[in-house]
Amino acid sequence: MEEFLQNYGFLVVTLLQQSLLALSLYFPLMTGQLSLASPGFYALGGYIAAIMLTVDGCAGVRDYLGWAIFPLGWVAAGIVSAVLALLVGIPALRLRGIYLALGTIAFVEIMRVLFLNMEITGGAIGIFDIPQLFEERWSYILVFGPLLIATLLFIYRLERSRIGRAYKAIREDELAAGAMGINATRYKVQAFVIGAILAGIVGAMSAPFLNTWNARQGTFDASVSYLAYVLIGGSRSLFGPLLGATLLVALPELLRPLKDARLIINGVVLVLASIYLPQGIVGAMSRLKRSLFKIYAARGDDK
Amino acid sequence: MSIILHAERLCRNFGGLQAVDAVSFSVEEGEIFGLIGPNGAGKTTLFNLLTGLTPVSSGTFNYKGKFLTGLPPHRIAGLGIGRTFQNIRLFKGLSALENVKISRHTRTGSGLVSGIFGFPASCREERLVEEKAREVLKLIGLSERAEELAGNFSYGDQRRLEIGRALALDPKVLLLDEPAAGMNTAEKQNLTAFIRGVRKQFSLTVLLIEHHVPLVMGLCDRVAVLDFGKLIAVGEPADVQRDPAVIEAYLGAE
Repeated sequence: MEEFLQNYGFLVVTLLQQSLLALSLYFPLMTGQLSLASPGFYALGGYIAAIMLTVDGCAGVRDYLGWAIFPLGWVAAGIVSAVLALLVGIPALRLRGIYLALGTIAFVEIMRVLFLNMEITGGAIGIFDIPQLFEERWSYILVFGPLLIATLLFIYRLERSRIGRAYKAIREDELAAGAMGINATRYKVQAFVIGAILAGIVGAMSAPFLNTWNARQGTFDASVSYLAYVLIGGSRSLFGPLLGATLLVALPELLRPLKDARLIINGVVLVLASIYLPQGIVGAMSRLKRSLFKIYAARGDDK
Repeated sequence: MSIILHAERLCRNFGGLQAVDAVSFSVEEGEIFGLIGPNGAGKTTLFNLLTGLTPVSSGTFNYKGKFLTGLPPHRIAGLGIGRTFQNIRLFKGLSALENVKISRHTRTGSGLVSGIFGFPASCREERLVEEKAREVLKLIGLSERAEELAGNFSYGDQRRLEIGRALALDPKVLLLDEPAAGMNTAEKQNLTAFIRGVRKQFSLTVLLIEHHVPLVMGLCDRVAVLDFGKLIAVGEPADVQRDPAVIEAYLGAE
């Protein structure tokens, strides 16, 4: 066990972390909104934590709080992300479909350029030597793991609640949802804010884990990766983003012996999945389950 | 009887087209009010104005004396005006039960946190929603198929489910946009009886767009005729049928 964690601990933590980021896209998707803003909030959260943990001005607070500065950083990142998401979301969510995707990519770019040029974020060098929460890298499983479980439970409960039903109604038909008394704007912004809070907290947890934090943390490439997780896994079930992130993070590792050819295979898998699994893997599996069930039921009728 | 819905010189133009042109009318509480007219007369646009889906260009309308002009659709629905759509807009990827449950949104109040943690008030509310939704499905005769996806239902069943979804809002006024479209004669007769039944059971006021003349004549207490966005006649079905302006609109001038 000890040896496994030494060798693969970093990979397991990355799996959990990327799953969480994939799920941060899932919240706006529940209301049918394709937002790629997560890397912007992820980077923001990381900077907030990194600044709190390194800036001299906070030294007194750090000495007083001890390890509690870490959870305080998560909370601060969540709150700041929520406020920013509210400010960005209200105008941005007037855009629909691909235009919202483009608008949120622009947001990620703006954040990146801001971080790159501000003094407090360390400019192009970023912030380094961030204090560690644990001695061992793999121990970060202890923060990302519970957050992932909490997020999954949150979504599971949400989908069975009054608010979750409103989300689904908006996803299915926004106009009809309005005519049935649902304030679409309000719930679209709410879902966007929840996704942003999650991405911000994950960023705040990741900054110590990665030890350095710079403007490369929140880029357009990251937007595309998270989107790929959701598309490959499936966007209609909470297990979709989870499965997609796990596969796409693990795949390059499994293909490592192939050296540079692994990127080609990685790309081929992505293309094939989007052609043959338009609903993602989870969508394809549930369709398969339904048709097997039908065959089974039909056999039962024959007897 | 008192007036429940009143429109005063309602107008809506799309560019140069006057889709609804200075239409004024009153609907009395409890009546079934028919809206007929040739294709493109502005009937559906008028429904869209009354439910807030399309903003009015000018004019006002009020419901029980409260002005609704300019309110967003969800507010109007919350006040008790439910509707169906000409081209059926169910939540096709959700089950019949969920479709109906969604309409209970404005009649319930659990917030995000209360729903996630399952506070007692929220659980109680959820049970009531389930109960009410099952009741509605029973009323429209679809209780056996509660878990099926709405998109898999036949055309006629989708129309019924859409009416059920609107009824779950607890509306006082129900707007039905061509509820009999695509139905056969027997289904149309069933529908007539059904609309009468729910009006009585829920003390509803019904506004109805319909092309099928016998259905309108048999069902409606009063009928309004629209032609090129203008209201050309209002009255009891038999009188409207004899109105020269109506005959001209439908058959052309002699």
